[in-house]
Amino acid sequence: MNCFEARHDFPAFWRRELSADRRAALNAHLDRCAKCGQAFRVFALTAPVLHCESAAVSGAAAPREFTFEPRARASAPRINASYGARRRWLAMCASALIFLAASTGAYFAASAPAQSLSEALTNPQDQSGQPLFGPELPDSSDDLAG
Amino acid sequence: MLRLAASRKLGWRLVSRPDDELIADALSGQPAAFSELAMRHRARVERLCQRFFSDPEIARDLAQECFIRAYTGLSTYRKELPFGGWLRAIVTNLCYDELRRRRRRPEELVGDFTAPEVQWMHLVSEATPEQIVAEAEQRREAHALAHRLLETLKPEDRTVVIMKDSEGMNVREIAQAMGWSAAKVKIRAFRARQAMRQQAERLQIARHRLKP
Repeated sequence: MNCFEARHDFPAFWRRELSADRRAALNAHLDRCAKCGQAFRVFALTAPVLHCESAAVSGAAAPREFTFEPRARASAPRINASYGARRRWLAMCASALIFLAASTGAYFAASAPAQSLSEALTNPQDQSGQPLFGPELPDSSDDLAG
Repeated sequence: MLRLAASRKLGWRLVSRPDDELIADALSGQPAAFSELAMRHRARVERLCQRFFSDPEIARDLAQECFIRAYTGLSTYRKELPFGGWLRAIVTNLCYDELRRRRRRPEELVGDFTAPEVQWMHLVSEATPEQIVAEAEQRREAHALAHRLLETLKPEDRTVVIMKDSEGMNVREIAQAMGWSAAKVKIRAFRARQAMRQQAERLQIARHRLKP
């Protein structure tokens, strides 16, 4: 028996499914080969879970009768989980939209002109009485004539 | 005589009806047929769940949920595949999702071993293979320690190890069942083995520190 064959037989050896000859050959190989001996010890650490055949060995008490009734506990968390994830996404989208709307509103509120251009042309003086395009020159101004 | 033989034959047929027949009956609206199918596969499904989770209550809940999913999705089952394989794919996906949902960080094996666990570690290191196999059947701590060791793996690695080692599935079958690429399965299997070896070495170190 070579190392490959020996390691291939580990699960069957654990489950006692090997023939007596094969079992003896494996034992002899494990005595001889230190690497396979070590590999078997690593294998033996997880084999009680990975290679046990009966549920009783695992210490779990299986129910006597299988009742085909949906248990709320079994199915509810998953449904809630997907529903919760969807709700989280919706909340995030809604808050992003609100933030966008608020920042846009704030920007336009800060930079919008007090009067529109058409209002400025039709009503050249603003409400405080100051002319928009500078003070008007008096009719009898001699300064311009020099 | 002939009638008796015929009735026995009919009785046997009723007792061991093939899965396909039961599925057809269940699809035609007979829940009893699915119940029979579930009873037939229950032990296997629960055993697989117990390989993922040490808590029997969780394993039992997951087995129930698996059958609920199988029942609700029975119309998607294809006759070309064996029903057991289809069910196994449901169980592994369910257990994998549950592992991820719990999202526990892979734990390091720390030195809080119980006395029986330390004894078991000593036995694994020093006894002959025959003695180890004989003792493992009786010792519950062997099971507990194995679960602790498996809990150090990531969900993907643990799923691949269980499917490959326990269920004897090959890379292609695992990839198909989980919807992963074959390369991913190979990488996960390699990393899992590496991690297990490392953990075993740590156990050896811990064993030297702890006396039984």
